[in-house]
Amino acid sequence: MAPTTTTSLGRAPSQLVGGWEVGLLAFLAVLYLGGVLVNPTFFGSAEAFHALLRDTARVGIIAVGMTFVIVNKDLDLSVGSTYGLVAVVFARLFAPSFLDFGVITSVILCVLLGAAIGLVNGLLVTVLKAPAFIATLTVLFIGRGLVLALTQGQAIYYSDKAKEHPFFFHLGETNVLGFNNQILIFAAIAIGGALVLAKTRWGYETFATGGNEQAAGYAGIPTHWVRIRAYLISSLCATIAALLSAAQDKGVTPLYGVSWELTVIASVVIGGASILGGRGRVIGSCLGAAVVVLIDKVLREGWPITRTVVIEGEQISVSAKYTLPAGAVLVFLGLLLVVAVLVEPYLVRRQVAARFWAWLRGRPPPPAYEIGGVALEGVQTRGAVTEISLSATWLGKFLARRDALAIILAALLWLTGLALRPDYWWNLSNTFAILLNYTELALITVGLTYVIAAGDIDLSVGAVLALAGSTAAYFLKVLGADPVTAIAMGLLAGMAAGLVNAAVTVGFKLPAFIATLGMFYIARGLAAWLVAGQQLTGWPEGYNLLGRKVNDILLHFHISLPEGILRSVAEVVSVQTIWMLLVALLAGIVLAYTPFGQKVYATGGNIRAAAYAGINTNRVRFMAFMLSALCATMAGLINIAYFRSFNPVAGQFRELDAIAAVIIGGGSIFGGYGTIIGALAGAAVITLIRALLQINVQGFAMPQHWINVFIGGILIAAVLIDIWVRQANILGRLRARLARRKPVVELPHA
Amino acid sequence: MPDALQREPIVEMRGIEKAFGAVQALRNVDMVLYPGEILGLVGDNSAGKSTLMKILSGAYQRDAGEIYVAGKPVHFKSPHESRDAGIEMIYQDFALCGNMDVGQNIFLGRWPLKGLFVNRRKMYAEADSVLKRLKVDVNSVYQKVESLSGGRQQSVAIARAISFQPRVVILDEPTANLSVMATERLLETMLELKKQGVAQIIISHRLVDIFAVGDRVMVLKRGENVGDRYTSNTDEREVLEIIVSGTREHALSADEARKS
Repeated sequence: MAPTTTTSLGRAPSQLVGGWEVGLLAFLAVLYLGGVLVNPTFFGSAEAFHALLRDTARVGIIAVGMTFVIVNKDLDLSVGSTYGLVAVVFARLFAPSFLDFGVITSVILCVLLGAAIGLVNGLLVTVLKAPAFIATLTVLFIGRGLVLALTQGQAIYYSDKAKEHPFFFHLGETNVLGFNNQILIFAAIAIGGALVLAKTRWGYETFATGGNEQAAGYAGIPTHWVRIRAYLISSLCATIAALLSAAQDKGVTPLYGVSWELTVIASVVIGGASILGGRGRVIGSCLGAAVVVLIDKVLREGWPITRTVVIEGEQISVSAKYTLPAGAVLVFLGLLLVVAVLVEPYLVRRQVAARFWAWLRGRPPPPAYEIGGVALEGVQTRGAVTEISLSATWLGKFLARRDALAIILAALLWLTGLALRPDYWWNLSNTFAILLNYTELALITVGLTYVIAAGDIDLSVGAVLALAGSTAAYFLKVLGADPVTAIAMGLLAGMAAGLVNAAVTVGFKLPAFIATLGMFYIARGLAAWLVAGQQLTGWPEGYNLLGRKVNDILLHFHISLPEGILRSVAEVVSVQTIWMLLVALLAGIVLAYTPFGQKVYATGGNIRAAAYAGINTNRVRFMAFMLSALCATMAGLINIAYFRSFNPVAGQFRELDAIAAVIIGGGSIFGGYGTIIGALAGAAVITLIRALLQINVQGFAMPQHWINVFIGGILIAAVLIDIWVRQANILGRLRARLARRKPVVELPHA
Repeated sequence: MPDALQREPIVEMRGIEKAFGAVQALRNVDMVLYPGEILGLVGDNSAGKSTLMKILSGAYQRDAGEIYVAGKPVHFKSPHESRDAGIEMIYQDFALCGNMDVGQNIFLGRWPLKGLFVNRRKMYAEADSVLKRLKVDVNSVYQKVESLSGGRQQSVAIARAISFQPRVVILDEPTANLSVMATERLLETMLELKKQGVAQIIISHRLVDIFAVGDRVMVLKRGENVGDRYTSNTDEREVLEIIVSGTREHALSADEARKS
């Protein structure tokens, strides 16, 4: 191959920065100037600019790592909790009140912990084939649980001991040149990351894997290692950021890194990376981080306003500050994420700017990319289930059902409870207390089953529950509305959330996990915003009837039942349980026996085949999202009636419980499977596990903080069992291999 | 190809057997390929064409039989090993990364290095020369592959295969998704390759294409070789007849068919 002249090639396009970065920089400048104009006292100083860079540093460092993961077409939701966990572990290792290790030992152990988390994430999504969002979401929840468990909800400080180690702790402080060392470290990591991603083989391999993993594999690129490597980089970046925060603050609180994954993912996506993989630049991500941090600061700092106060008949102008209440920042960041995610596929990839420019000059538009075949949607069912024909008896038929596991587990767990506490477990009030806990989860699960069966996911159910509850509570308490209006408004708010989920997922064809993740933050933020972060309580009892026992309702209407079995049942059965059973019955019949239910399964099983068969898959998925939001909304309305108050943490971790319940109950994370009976049994399993973990056996009860760690473990186990046992039929293959020393039929592609 | 007999075959497969569970995909299949020859591999669906080629490229492992490349017995365990022996398979799909440019795709997975960094100057210069050698015109090696038409993408995939300097190129249904114009261009590219002495195997349902460029056509049916003809002394009607009703017992080799 004779080398030809390179002159004809022209200049190679720049890889480090592009037009997007220039635009971001301009936007950043405008945003900052806006901040200066609105609030000169805060933004107008060099100190403020320095603070912006310092705060960007830690987010930016994590964004550098996240860029690698997102370019790989993966997602790492665990960075926020990794950041928090490493900071907490460092505190526990280093603080004199705990292990009192040296600084070097502590740092090394923290780096090992970060690497271990990255490795677990990487192995889960590559070797074990769990979808990235569900694997890393579980790691996020487990990490958060560990943070609470290790701190007992308390802050840990070690500022005295920190003085003995000036070298390490100086990393988080201002240096002799007058700026914080973190900025220096951030700059080094950003430049290093930018060069690696844009100019080395590691970076090229990342782009190839994100663009077309199969092609990359054929070309001899070790795609599993490329993806694991990105998770390692991401976790280690979060570790570095956590150590810098330890060096700066000389202490830790359990709130470190809460919802940082949102900030970081929003940064990377605003920086021009595509959530669909294959595109992204480190410099863009860093600028994105600066934009997000600045927006965050502007929102938190508030606007100076002049308030007129009347004192003794005299009007006095008082300068005050309008700050947004708690939760508002989260709402804006969530919105930013959802909007930013739309930018790449709809503006950049469709060359809107270039087309507009050509149109202005009257030139023909640039050639459009062929987007037709690009699958924007998420994963589809992989592998067919080989029928396990155990026997034709009823037992064999039952065991072959996908929901058999959940039903057996639920029964076994209940018997375990009976064995542990025979005195207390088999007790009408305990049984119905469990049933009550069960009701909320089961109600959410019913709706979620539709979404998962249709091949999507809804991560926002817990947050929508809170939003609906918060809205109803706001109308009842603050506006003094009557119960019917409050219920209507709660339904409206919840359904609006469902509409946004459905519109972004179905209308804009974005992966469901990213759209509902945005809603997860938006709805929770709105819920906290409405009630200003406080607990609302004390409204007319008429509303609370939604969450009362049947007997209480009868008494409310001055009907008293005669003594007897009827009355004792009415004294323990709640109206919400009856309602839940009605909803479940209806939903179960629709899913199992009506054409709509079959359309849901068809859509989840193979969306393209379903569309070819004339099914309006968009409508099916839309309805599923709306149904899921409706069920979560009803759960929220009942929740505040039952507790007679709204607590901003209502429904927290419920998405975890609900997804685990559906998967345990026979649903597949890849869609196409799931029954209401299975989901109800799955919800029973989760409820019973929570109840079992809470019961006091001979004076020992599991601490509350550890329970979420445990449930997270169950979710990931359920997903893995679904993928490997139900879908890939690993047991069947093993059995076949043992029996015949021959693999099961793998059909050739003729 | 009259002088084929005097030359040593570049690829020879003898008595290949392959079963998938209970399904016998290939039964005692023989195949020869000479340097610079274009062999059309035809047959109904599930006749075993792709399986045979995947065995040759090392994607599948054979149950029995021998493979010789340039006279030496080989046993490829993966496509990477067959690539080292000069055999390149071009897959129908999944071959390119749309988000990367033409040059990056041609050197996918083996980007030249200069120190720690990828040597872009060398990469683009060599990509350009490969494309020139193939006489395919893409506007620029900097163009993203997803912005190219289907035919041009196919050309980039072939250019990528050529850049390994292969002795044998296998094309699996290369014209299946192409327009008439793009097919014309692809066939020209194949003839250009042939001129450079590269042997090619083309799996296709479109007999027209095989007759346009092929030297010889081999028919598989239910995993068996049921006939072999030179394109110069057969026609589409006869080949179709063999596809539909050919049997192993009545199979003739290309040379036998020419003599009769």
